[in-house]
Formats: sequence, C-alpha cells, structure tokens
Amino acid sequence: MEALKVGRPSPAARPLPWLGVVAVGLGFALLALFIWSWWGRSDLAGTGQKLLILAGFAAAAYGVARVANFLAAVRTGPLVGFIPAGLTLALVLLTVEALLRAYQVPAGLIPTPTRVFATLWAVRDVLLQDAYQTVVLEAFTGYLVGCGLGVATALLVSRFVFLERGFLPYATAFSSIPIVALAPVLVKMMGLEWPSKAAIVAITVFFPVVVGTFRGLTEVSPLSLELMRSYAAGEAQQYRWLRIPNALPFIFNALKLGTTLAMIGSIVGEFFGAGGQGLGFRIQIEAGRFGFDIVWSAIIVASVVGIAWYGLVAWLERRMTGWHVSFRE
Amino acid sequence: MLARLRSPNLVPMLAVALVIAALYYPLMLLANVPVAQRALDSGAALECGSALECATQLRSPVLPSPQQLWRGFANLLFPLDSPNAIPLNAAVTALETLVGLALATVVGFFFAVGIVASRAFERSLLPWIVASQTVPIVAIAPMLVVLLGQYGVQGWIPKAIIAAYIAFFPITIGVAKGLRSPDPLSLDLMKTYNASSWQTYLKLRFPASLPYLFTAFKVAMTAALIGAIVAEISTISFQGIGKMLAENSRASDVVATWVIMIASAALGILLVALVGWLEKVVTPWKR
Repeated sequence: MEALKVGRPSPAARPLPWLGVVAVGLGFALLALFIWSWWGRSDLAGTGQKLLILAGFAAAAYGVARVANFLAAVRTGPLVGFIPAGLTLALVLLTVEALLRAYQVPAGLIPTPTRVFATLWAVRDVLLQDAYQTVVLEAFTGYLVGCGLGVATALLVSRFVFLERGFLPYATAFSSIPIVALAPVLVKMMGLEWPSKAAIVAITVFFPVVVGTFRGLTEVSPLSLELMRSYAAGEAQQYRWLRIPNALPFIFNALKLGTTLAMIGSIVGEFFGAGGQGLGFRIQIEAGRFGFDIVWSAIIVASVVGIAWYGLVAWLERRMTGWHVSFRE
Repeated sequence: MLARLRSPNLVPMLAVALVIAALYYPLMLLANVPVAQRALDSGAALECGSALECATQLRSPVLPSPQQLWRGFANLLFPLDSPNAIPLNAAVTALETLVGLALATVVGFFFAVGIVASRAFERSLLPWIVASQTVPIVAIAPMLVVLLGQYGVQGWIPKAIIAAYIAFFPITIGVAKGLRSPDPLSLDLMKTYNASSWQTYLKLRFPASLPYLFTAFKVAMTAALIGAIVAEISTISFQGIGKMLAENSRASDVVATWVIMIASAALGILLVALVGWLEKVVTPWKR
C-alpha cells in the first residue's frame, strides 16, 4: 500500500491535529449559530450572514480534512474509522439547513433536514407499515427465491457443459436488460398485491447470482483439480471440497449487489401499481402532491433498511469466508 | 460477428432457444385457457368458439400468443418517426442514457482521483458514495424532476441527470481500482524520472485504468438505461421507452407492454454491445 500513496510518506507517530479539531468545532458552531438566529424568520439573509455560512463551512471542511488525514494515518477500529464520514454527514446537513434557511427555499421544494426528521417521527407508524410491505413481503421474499434459484441453476449449469454453452450466453445477455421494463408486465400478470413485486425482485437478483456463482464454481485452479483427481475424488466431493468453497466469495459479491437490486426492484414495481401500501407507492403519491418531507422520510427508511441489509450480508460473508485472501491484512 | 457464429456455443444456444420456443406455446395455452373459459362462461360476445381457440386472441392475455406479439411488433415499429412508435422513443431513451453516462464518467473520474490521491477524501466521502447506492435511487427520481422543473429544466435533461446519478457509482469504483492498478515498479520508474504527480496520472495511471473503465462502463450502461427509463416513468414525459411503458400499462394494453419490454431488452443488449465494440477500438493492446 505504501507504494501506491502519492506524495511523501507520512511519519508514523503524529501529534493530534489540534488545529483541525478546533476548526471543526468553530465551523459547526458558526453554522449552528446562524441556524439558531434565523429560526422562524421568513426574510432572505443578507451578505454578512451568507459570508458567515461560507466561513463556517470552510472552517469545518478544512478541519474535517485535517482530522480525516490524521485518522487515516493511524490504524484503528471501525468505530473510529467512521468518525470522518460522520463528521462529513453532519457538515453537509448543517450547511444544507443553513443555506435553505438563508435563501428561504419553500418547504414544498426542498424541505430542511430538521423538518424531514420531524416528519419522519410524526408519520413513523405509516412508514413502518409501508416498510413491512416493501421490505419483508416483497424484497426479502423475492431475494430469497431469486438467490436460491440462482445458486441452484449455477450448480446445474456448471455440471453440464452443454447447458453451460447453451444457457450462459443468454444469462449474460439478460444481465444487460433494464429490469424496469419487466415490472409492468409482471404486475399485469400477477395483480397489484405483493407477489408480483416479489417476482420482479426474484428475476432481478437471479441473473447476477447465476453469473457470479458460475464463475466461482468454474474458475478453480487447475492444480487443485488435478489434486482432486489424483485422490480419485468423485464429482460430488469435488463440489463439496473445492468448487463450492471457491465460489463463496463470488456468491457473496452477487448477494451484496442483490440487496440493492432487491430494494430498487420492489420500489419500482410499486410505481406500476400497488395495493395502497409500500414505500414506492408512498413516494409516488407524495411526490405528486409535493409532500417532499414525507418522500425524504420514506427514502431515509429505505436507505437505513438497505444499509442494514447490506451490512448483514457483509457480516455473513466475514463469518463464512474469513479465510479468503481479501480479509487478510 | 463471423467469429461469434463459429463459436462452439452456437448449437447448444440454438437447442436451448428451440426448447424454450417449443415450451412457450403449451405454456401460453395453459395460462390463457382458464381466462378464456371464464370469458366464454360469462357470455361475452367473442368471435371464437372454444376456449382453446380464444386462448390465442384474448384482449389481455396472461402470456400473449406468438401471433399477437407479431402483430404488436408490426403495429409499434412503423412508421419509424411516429411519436407512438418504438424507434423514435428508443432513440430518445438511448440519447438520455448516453448523455447520462458521459456525465457520470466526468463525476466518476473526479471522485476516483479524489479517492486515490487523498486518504482524507476517501475516509470522509467513500462511505457515503457506497451508501448512496443502497438508497433506492429510483425513489429520488420523481422528486428530482419536479425540483428541476421548478427551475425551468425540462425535457430530457433531468432524465440524463438521474441516469448519471445511478451510473456514477460503478464508474467511480472501477476507475479507482484502475488508477491503483499500476504495479509499484512502474510507479517507482515515474519517481526515477522525477515525474510530478500530475504527470504520473496522465502518463501512467489513466492509461492503466482504461480496461477497468470499460468493465465499469458495461455495468454503468445498464444502470443508466434503468435510470433513464425509471425517470421517464415516474415523471411527466412526452417521449421515451419509459413513457410508452407507463402509457400502455395504464391503458392495460398487455400485448404492447410485452412488445416494449422486448424492445427495451434489445436496446439494453445493443448499448452494452456498443461498449464492447468501443473497448476493442480504444484498448487494442488488451487483445
């Protein structure tokens, strides 16, 4: 890694960047001061106030960069590693809040972050029901079915060369199809309720899983295969001890990609008709009514679910493929 | 193309296609006969006698029959420049996708250089770049279009922006990988020549990242196409594949929806093939 760094290598032991910490604190304080002073006012901010926002942003950005640089040089746990990202998020939210208040952008266009969080809390019951419909019934069911079928198909295809030659080119071609186009057809075929969206999700995740798993099952080192043969291992044993372990990292990559695809698939599916519930349905209805604070709240819920789901799969991957080269330091 | 035709995959591919084609007709009948039977039982005035006959000519079939698909294609493909035919709309969607991809490339390169050049940038922004992908981006599409419409940005530009928003991620990650791909020896050589970091990027890192860029392009192209279509669906649009999908879906024209689905699949495959061709032209040393 050292060789890849641009510029001078940093000395291992560095003093805490006090200047950076102070700059972050000062910048955040300036931004917070402006927001507090402009709370509830409806007139445009003057040049002085805009300069204050700019100064606050610049100071905080400089500070975050200093702190992040310092933390990048010291190897620490994941929580400390998240500090720069957390500071960046706080900085962006504060700046957006300040700018929206300074320029008096109407809430119907871009709601301020504080307003979004207030709305999120106010409509939490509705959004939780929507999330249950979209995530548990549609995305998760479809995901399990799609991934299961995908792995099974890949096992079958990798076993028979004829199938591989006849089927795999189609699978790769299918991967470049915009899945959105399937949504209206499937909703028409299977009705407005959750099974149609689960089917969309299943088809969406199926192809990447097939292609990924197949690569993992077939790209084994010839040496290992020779060794298997010299031990007179049967086809089943080859799969058990060589091909499937080799495929696990590939499968998990496809599974991680699938989490995002599943969320997108279920939400787009709801754009084409839903039974009056679901995050996608909510987003479409409220965007049409300019209820953007609810739209953003729904997006926050969907993102939190998406990140948690991705994290869960990544955790499973660590548990099951901890031996793999990508996890070794 | 000729080399492709001589490939050992041809016979198996044809066999699989034939099996699917042979299975399609019975499946179609299986799916449609009950619907047709119900229509007959309800005493609807149909031009066909038995449920079997009716199964191939339902107004809204579960699976359309080959004859229906054929007629649907004939209806939707011509005239070539009509606002309700596929070719013109597909061209509009393709334009949005390509412009979006170009935008995404610019943004992706910017982020990738930032990630590779600065550890601080990587630590502060990369988690959010990754998180932006777990956000169902399609959710933002309707809002973004309304927002841009308020400031007088209309037509195909918002769709291109949404396409870019989805496509920048694979490009960012791919290019960052590519910029890091030169081996330490080459980097040391650059140091030996006293190259500035700018020269190192220009003469070593960018050329090295090209193969990675094209791999990323293939993923990003599909992503951008999905973005463009979703943007057309979820907003008021007058042109594009997404508009046709939304219209025919609302009008419950099942056969047309099927035809448009097949057409957009063809468009997706075509655009990805275009990237493959470009790759051959730009990086001849990879062959």
